[in-house]
Amino acid sequence: MIRKSPMKQEDRQTISGTDFKEYFQPQSLKEALDIKAEYGDRIQVAAGSTDLLVANYEKLHEIENWLDLDKLDELRRIEVKASKLHLGAMVSHLKLMKSEVVKDKLAVLAAAAEDVGSPQIRSRGTIGGNICTSSPAGDLLAPLLSYEASFKLESAAGERIVAAEKFFTGPKRNLMEADELLTEIIIPLTENEREGAWIKVGRRKALVISTLTLSVVLEFEGKKIVKAGIAMGSVAPTPIRLGEVEAMLIGKKLAELDYQKLGQEVKARINPIDDLRGTKEYREDVAVDVMVRALNEVEGKVSS
Amino acid sequence: MQISLTVNGEQRELEVTPYTRLLDLLREELGLTGVKEGCGKGECGACTVIMNGELTASCLVPAPQADQAEIITVEGLGTKDDLHPIQESFVEAGAVQCGYCIPGMVLAGKRLLDENPQPTEKEVRYGLSGNICRCTGYAKIIDAVMLAADKLAVKGSDSSD
Repeated sequence: MIRKSPMKQEDRQTISGTDFKEYFQPQSLKEALDIKAEYGDRIQVAAGSTDLLVANYEKLHEIENWLDLDKLDELRRIEVKASKLHLGAMVSHLKLMKSEVVKDKLAVLAAAAEDVGSPQIRSRGTIGGNICTSSPAGDLLAPLLSYEASFKLESAAGERIVAAEKFFTGPKRNLMEADELLTEIIIPLTENEREGAWIKVGRRKALVISTLTLSVVLEFEGKKIVKAGIAMGSVAPTPIRLGEVEAMLIGKKLAELDYQKLGQEVKARINPIDDLRGTKEYREDVAVDVMVRALNEVEGKVSS
Repeated sequence: MQISLTVNGEQRELEVTPYTRLLDLLREELGLTGVKEGCGKGECGACTVIMNGELTASCLVPAPQADQAEIITVEGLGTKDDLHPIQESFVEAGAVQCGYCIPGMVLAGKRLLDENPQPTEKEVRYGLSGNICRCTGYAKIIDAVMLAADKLAVKGSDSSD
């Protein structure tokens, strides 16, 4: 029997051309904040647009009001001020991974930026966009937790600084108010030796949403660990910092640590789900392995 | 709204809407059909252009964000009778199968060689990592970029003589 497949009528949206109401492309942050104050959550903020245009594929015309931050070069600065690194929210992943000061002082963040999407995505996508999208799989988020970054949220009424650890409240959710824009990421620097490791697990090397990420940043005085930032992505509803595991490292030398046991401690504190990128069990097992690998990597980098 | 941009060296003034993607603008307004739509979600690289010197997925750029930009598409590299050395290398290496990914591959190759004229094979793979070939013809595409590097090196030494 010959079967004919029915003709598929693709139900593409018709685009009228007059659907959107306003498109703002402010030339100054002040102007942008005034627009955000007026429109609140009735306006869509566009930064690098690499998440936005995927989320709105074939329904871009449904976005009523746009606030495009593309012209705000004042949000593209990378500066060191009073032993803190200030990253403008519109700094692209490409700029982040190529910046000498970021590579030197925040090597784990630079490495994570290099693993975002593909060259085509990194040239447009921004650190601020990665933060505001607040995906548990956002590649820059675990490193930002490890480095104890804080975020400057500005509105026409004023500004506040929020710790990265407090910012994420659920999958694609955060505590930003409707009148606020993320303008700056602030990361404390240190004179101490700081070494770290970044591990991204995915099904391909490029263009992949992470199955799991681990960011380890350890600060040393001599051989002793004085500070630890251990954070993971894609293992809980938000990127998470593993404070209890960090506490097991403080005051110790690397040589005194049992890496395998620490891997098990990591596994005990994550809460992954089954999804198309991996099962809960897979993620738990891999968490042990990547922790061991990360500590070995740090060991290889520490000056002897 | 009106935007102004440079496409393949030519200054353009165009009327756009926010839901026009740079991809649509290039294909439908300017007829530059070397820019292909594959996935429409930034994952395949068929819509790759060079925007302000960097590889960009034109399907992920709202047209107003291309205001004041400098865009290069495959049409800006060479003509049928006067191919760019990278295009020539793709022909010579037999790197083209169905052809759909090739404009993006050629541009990714060009961008790579602009920054790194003598890449290793690993670096070529990294440079092309945002471009998918549905025919899986990667080996010859990589050969083509390596060949182009050699051609450009010879050409460079010729002109400095």
